[in-house]
Formats: sequence, structure tokens, C-alpha cells
Amino acid sequence: MKIVVAIKQVPERDAQVRVAADGKWIDESDLSYTINEPDAYALEEALQLKEKSGAGEVVVVCAGPERVQSTLREALAKGADRAIHIEADDLGSLDTLGVAQLLADAVKAESPDLILTGLQSDDLGLGQTGVVLAELLDIPHATIIMHVEATSAGLKVKRELEDGWFQYVEMPLPALLTIQSGGNKLRYATLMGIKKARTKELKTVAAPAQVRAAAVTLERVYLPEKQKKTEMLTGSPTEVAAKIVDKLKFEARVI
Amino acid sequence: MVAGTLVAAAGTYQIAGLLLDREHRGLNVSATLAEPAHFSSLESGLLVLCLVGSATLFFRRFGPILRNILRSKKDADFSLSPVGRRVWEFFSEVLCQSKVIRQRPLPGLAHAFVFWGFLAFALVSLNHLANGVGLGFLAPESIVGRFYFLFAAAWALLVAVSIAGLFIRRFFVRPIWLGEKLSYESGWIAFLIFLLMVSYLGAFFVSDAGMAVKALWWTHTLALVVFLPLIPHTKHLHLVISPVTVFLKRDGFSKIPPLAGDEDFGLVAGKDVTQLISLQAYSCVECGRCTEHCPAANTGKVLNPKEIVLGVRSYLNEFGPSSETPLLAESRGAAPTDAHQRLLSMEAAFECTTCGSCEYQCPVGIQHVPIIVGLRRGATNTGAWEDDYGTKLFLALEKHGNALGLGAMERDKFIQKQAFPIFDGTQEYCLWLGCMGGYDPKGREIIADFARVMQYLGTTFGVLKKEKCTGDPARRLGNDLVFQTLAESGLKAFETAKVQKIVAICPHCVRTIANDWREFGVAPEIEHHSEFMARHKDRLPKQGGESIVYHDPCYLGRYQDVYEEPRAVVALAGSLVEAPRSHERSFCCGAGGGLAFLGEEQGERVSHVRAKELAGTGAEVVGTACPFCNTMFRDALTAVSEAPPQLLDIAQLTARAIPASQKEAGGVQ
Ligand code: SF4
Ligand code: SF4
Repeated sequence: MKIVVAIKQVPERDAQVRVAADGKWIDESDLSYTINEPDAYALEEALQLKEKSGAGEVVVVCAGPERVQSTLREALAKGADRAIHIEADDLGSLDTLGVAQLLADAVKAESPDLILTGLQSDDLGLGQTGVVLAELLDIPHATIIMHVEATSAGLKVKRELEDGWFQYVEMPLPALLTIQSGGNKLRYATLMGIKKARTKELKTVAAPAQVRAAAVTLERVYLPEKQKKTEMLTGSPTEVAAKIVDKLKFEARVI
Repeated sequence: MVAGTLVAAAGTYQIAGLLLDREHRGLNVSATLAEPAHFSSLESGLLVLCLVGSATLFFRRFGPILRNILRSKKDADFSLSPVGRRVWEFFSEVLCQSKVIRQRPLPGLAHAFVFWGFLAFALVSLNHLANGVGLGFLAPESIVGRFYFLFAAAWALLVAVSIAGLFIRRFFVRPIWLGEKLSYESGWIAFLIFLLMVSYLGAFFVSDAGMAVKALWWTHTLALVVFLPLIPHTKHLHLVISPVTVFLKRDGFSKIPPLAGDEDFGLVAGKDVTQLISLQAYSCVECGRCTEHCPAANTGKVLNPKEIVLGVRSYLNEFGPSSETPLLAESRGAAPTDAHQRLLSMEAAFECTTCGSCEYQCPVGIQHVPIIVGLRRGATNTGAWEDDYGTKLFLALEKHGNALGLGAMERDKFIQKQAFPIFDGTQEYCLWLGCMGGYDPKGREIIADFARVMQYLGTTFGVLKKEKCTGDPARRLGNDLVFQTLAESGLKAFETAKVQKIVAICPHCVRTIANDWREFGVAPEIEHHSEFMARHKDRLPKQGGESIVYHDPCYLGRYQDVYEEPRAVVALAGSLVEAPRSHERSFCCGAGGGLAFLGEEQGERVSHVRAKELAGTGAEVVGTACPFCNTMFRDALTAVSEAPPQLLDIAQLTARAIPASQKEAGGVQ
């Protein structure tokens, strides 16, 4: 089975994120980047599928500026066979459709049996890229996948629903799955993996000169503003309770 | 050795006196050694035949061993310097038998007598054999001969008594460390040595002519001829190679050699075994001193350091030094097929706390820790080691740069809360927090208290804005990728901040920064807080009489030879009590080698054994000098004792006496 894993590079979890001077994006200087966590699980799932079947190929693809190559190398070190870097210096200016389009162009040429990606990104958290990519490629998709099993007819996957419920879905190939974090145990990078990764292919492809104008644009990036509006209610418990009900009804309008 | 020679000289004098006395009484005893007057050419021919046969057998067995050692991979980092230290250690450990005696006085002394006796006998034996072909060079009647043979006779007595004693120990007392199986070869060899001595001594009681002297001469010769070929395939091989092993051992305690080239991932297979490791594996005398002191072997784990060494040896015998067959068996199967698989298992390799007791004890210079860490490297660097806890630790180090897997923000908050200044080049010291000091609640208390001590002394310090783990647990668990990444980032952080001097509360951090990082660059000078406080002890408050038992951390004591400084600090805070096992014999807390992060242990917990021992001293306080020991004992002391002693780091012991006005406001969080 040929599996493509679409991954994204995001700022480290505990990075001190600052808003850029123009207020349109974050200040990227001084940030360290890492693989988007759900994408790490998508990669792990792909590697395990390949290991279980004993054959196949895992290709990782990532769009972004040159720095994303470090994340691609890490994926190669963990066991991916090839990597494709889609050069795109300004991902921030694209909307989901734009990014999915970039990925679709690169992935189409590979004609994979299966495409995996994380269910959402740690930075923007839109959770749409995978789904839109499936639409662009005109293949079926399933989201929030915990477990994948290859069957003779295609795949059997376990989806996470709410409240501890799961759903099992059978689907044909080719298909796209968006993977939930925590379904597998991640592997650690090894020295041998890093050394092998040096000899693996990392292909760079240029993004098309002009992608469609973004349908969604980013207005302003800002840190959540602190609004401290604590009001102390005084009186006997009955009075306080009455005041709370009042406020919930007429000010907060939640009951 | 000097003592031995004196004993021998005194003995010579006495024996001479005894013999002369007997002569007086008309017994047929003389102070001169009897030698057969004449050898027929048949006899000489027979002797030569025996010697050639013996030597051939010896080399037939020794040859493959030598070949295995020489054909092993070269040690890329080996260098003969410092020669002075090597010569000194050879003198002290081989010639004076210092380690053999110090660590096991009685059997050690017996062994030393046998060894020195052998040295004294070299000349005697040579002359003995030369006589057989008419080339004797030391006439018994000459002045030198008279003296030397008597001198050797005194040694012969000592050797005979010692070997008999050792025989009794091995076959009747049977200490468990010598192994369950009785080694009959050892008994046989002891008998041969005894025979050699008796047949030599006998020659003082017979005359030069007659059958008796010939019979003694041939008995002596045959014992020698049989002895020689027994050496290579028994533990007595150490007679030949262990002096070389001691001289050539890797410079530095528990030194983990750098990986050489792109194909080196540690000890994966025979092809990775280096010459030093081969040499060491063949040198083991199976004395079990390593096992006797091993915290793992003593608490029901699979690991036994002696078996690791013997496992490498049987691997080499079976597969040779260029084999691709993996060294480590996945786990100890019920019926392992190969001898080495029974001895070398993944499980065992990852049970080692890297406490270094084994390496410290070994009398023939075997360096266990580099071997065990080498095996771990082979497993981890190739991804063969799969362990949930291990993976979690490595991912935490990869992602967060600390072993506890917490966000760096947590450290920032702690620094703010404590109002620690950030190091900016104007302060004297960079205070290194480490993972424990930066993230662990108890470690934070220790750091905060040590900071108070520094403030009290008026020493300026600052902390790094960002700090990552030194890589110690990754290093000891064999993950070179994570270790190198962390070491390089740490070196860079010090360089950027222009740090000159570092002080740390964790011996693991100190050792790793000062020693292990060297592979990647030069770190600023670093010291442990015990050294810092001991240097300023005159200005620190003296406290009264509470009894405090001090626990030597492996990474401070054996690893860095720091024993007295923490004791000086403890002595300021109360009255120092020594644990039954202390100084270089201290027993591990169980945390080292990354094991603090690997989850539940097999068998008894190492920390409980040590906590029992410490509580058993009846001291009111257990004093520690390592945040890892401290965490290990926190639970262990309550588990093993009804009314557990207090548990305090030496920094806390000191800080508690600092007047309140000097203490910073604000608790630790
Ligand atoms: S390794 Fe050293 S201490 Fe251990 S049994 Fe062998 S010789 Fe003795
Ligand atoms: S280093 Fe310590 S735990 Fe490891 S084998 Fe040696 S004595 Fe045992």
C-alpha cells in the first residue's frame, strides 16, 4: 500500500508566541518549530500499517518555507521512505482551500492508496484541510480516526464520537483519513534513523505561481484580552441566589 | 608489596635459623636447596618434549583468544596518555594488589601472597628448568643462591598456606558471590600450586644425590608442565592478561566512549566489540566482587554484572569479533540456545542504575558501565529497545527538553516566583537548576534553599533564561541522538550567556556537563553545591547535636571522588553518622541510569533496601546531596520505617540555620 502523510510544521507547544508587528500573523523570529501533534500520530499510523503489511511505501508531504525540511527529515528518520517539500513561504496568507490545493497538486502525482493527516493543527485548529483535500481529490474520507485496519475490501476504521462513543466504518480505497492524537504510541527518533534519513529522497516542488485568491482572510491576530469583571454579590444566601438567577436571566441570558 | 617482602624476609631469616638448628641436631636438613647432580640426555630430552608439548597446548588454547582480542574493532578514542597514571595504577593495583586487598582483606591478602610468591618464584622456576638441560645459572651453594632460595622458600610457605586457605574458602565456606557452581578446575589448580610449593620446599630436606631429589624435581616439573595449558581456558587466564588489562583500561571512571563513524550505534553485534572490551571480557576472574555490590543483583533483578562480562566472553568464543549476530537477546528465554543469550539480555541491560560499584570493585580493571551502556546504545540507537516509559522519556526530552515532560513555562513561573535573577554576565555564578530543581517540587525546595545560602554568603548568581536537561538519562539509556542534541544546545546556551562558573545541586548534572559533554565542546567550570558550601564552611552557621546519616550519591562519590565536602557540610548541621556502606562502597538509591523514569522495578526496590539501611542507623535525619536520591528516599523511608527520619538535602540542612531575616520571602512552589 502506498500511503501519503500530509504533515504540518507548527510552533513548539510551549513557545512564547508573540503577535507580529503588523498584527496579521505571529512573530516567527526566535520560534522553534515541530511536527503538528496529530500529524505525528498520522505518521505513526502509516508506519505501522506499512510494518504490518510488510510492504508498501510511506511518503510524507509538507507545505511551507525552507524550515519545514527539518520536520520532514525527522519524519524520514522515524521511518518514512520519501519526502516532498512544497515550497510556500507565506502559508499564513492562504486559506484552507488554498493549502489543500497545494497539497492536492503534489499528492495527485503520487496516486496513493491512502492519505493520512492529523485531524487538525495545533496552531490554527481549523480541522478542515484533510476534508477539503479529500474533496479536491474526489476520494472518500473519514475523520477523527483512532484505529485503522486494512481489510481485503479496503479499510475498517474506528472513529471517535462524543462522550466515549466510537463508530466503526468500512470504506474502500483510495481514501483519506484524519487521525486523532493518542490512538497509537509514538516512537522515539533514533540515531540510526537520522543517519538513514540522510540518504533518503527529499524532493522540493515549487508552489504554483498564483493560487486562487483566498476566500477567507485573516483580519487581526491578538492575544485573548483579559477582562476582569468580578462583581461581589452580598446579602443572605437567599438574596444572593435570587440575584444570581436575575443576572443569569437578564445579563448573561443563559437561562 | 613492601609489607609482603618484609614478611618474606622475616620468614627467610626464621627458616634459615630453623634449618641451621636442625642441622645442629644432625638431621639431614640443609639451608641449601638440593638439586639433582646429573641429568641423562634421555631425561633432558624428555624435559624438552614436555615443555614443547605444554607450550603447544598453551598456545593452541591461548591463540584463538589472542586472535579474538586483536581482531576486535580498534578503540577509536584510545590513548596511552596519561602514562604516569597508568604506571601508578599498575604499580598499585597489580604489583601491590591494593584493590584486591582493600576490598576483601583476608582473601585479598591470601591472593596477594600467592601473586608475590609467583613473582619471587619466576627466577627459581627458570633456574629449575634450565638445570634439566644442564644450563642452571643459580648455584644453591653460592651466596646469592643460598639467600635467594631461602627467600623463595619463605614465599613458598606463604603461598602454600594462602592457597590452602583460598581452597577452603572456595570449597567449604563457599561465599555465594563465587557462583553456585563449584569450579573443579580451580580446585585442581590450587592443588597444582600447592604441589609446586611442597615439591620445592621438599628439596631442602634431601641431599643432592639419590632418587628423592630426582623425584621431587620431576614432580615440580610436571606440575609446571600441567599448569601451563590449564591457564587459557580457565579463569586463570587472568594470570597472563589482567596486568595488561589494568594497564590499558580506559582512562576515566565509567567513561562512555564516543561513537566512531556513521556505522557505529554502540554494541549491537560482535563487530562492535572493541579490543579493550574483548581484553576485559577475557580477563574476568569470576570473583563476583561486582555482583556482591550490585544493587540490581542484590534485589532480585535479572542483571548480574559478572554475567554481562562472561556473556560477552562466551559470545566472542562462539561467534567471534566480526559477527553480525546481535549481542543482546530480546529477553531471557526459558531454554536459551546459546550460552551468551542466557547471560546477555535486553532486560538485564536496562536494569542497571549505572551506579558504578561493579567497575569500582573489579580487581582486574574491567569497566562494566561502558559495556552496559554500550549494549543499551546498541538497542536504543537502532530502535530495538521498545519500552513505554523509555519512549515517553525520550519524547519528553525531544519535545520539552526536560525529563519530567513539563512545559518550559513551568520553569519560568518558578523562577519568577522565586525572583531568581537571570544570568547576564555580571554575576559570579550561573546557578544550574536541572530538571529536578526546575520542575520537581522537592528539587525546587532544594534549589530555593541553596539560593538562600548563596545570598547569605553574598555570592552573586543568576539562572539561565532557558535551560534544557543535560541529557544524562538519555546518555545512560543509550540514546545518543537526544543526548547530543541536548549537549550541543546546553553548550550553546552557556556560550551565549557568557557563563564562566556553574554551580548545581545535582551530581548527575555536574558529571554530565563536566565530563560527558566534552565530546561536543568545552563547558564552563562546574561544581557541586557540596563543594561550594564546604569551601565557605567557616562562614556558614554551626548547628547543634542532631544526628545526621549521610548517603553518598553514586555520581558524586564514585564518579567524582567527592566524599569529604558534603560531610563537612553535614558536620556543620549536626553530628555526622556513617551508614554501614559508605564512601566508595555506598549503595545506590536506584534512580541512576535513567531508571528513575522507567517505572516499577522487578523484585525488591533498591531504594527500600538503602532506606532501611539508613533508617537502621537510628539517625534523626537522612542527609542527601542529590535530588534524585532525595526523591527515591522520600517514599522509601515512609515505606520501611514506622517513624521515618527527616529527609533533607545538605542545602536544606544549611539553610535552616540561616536567620529568618536573611531568608527570602515567599515559599517554594
Ligand atoms: S568482572 Fe571483575 S569483579 Fe566481576 S567477577 Fe569478573 S573479575 Fe570479578
Ligand atoms: S553499575 Fe551498578 S547497577 Fe549497574 S551492573 Fe554495575 S553495580 Fe550493578
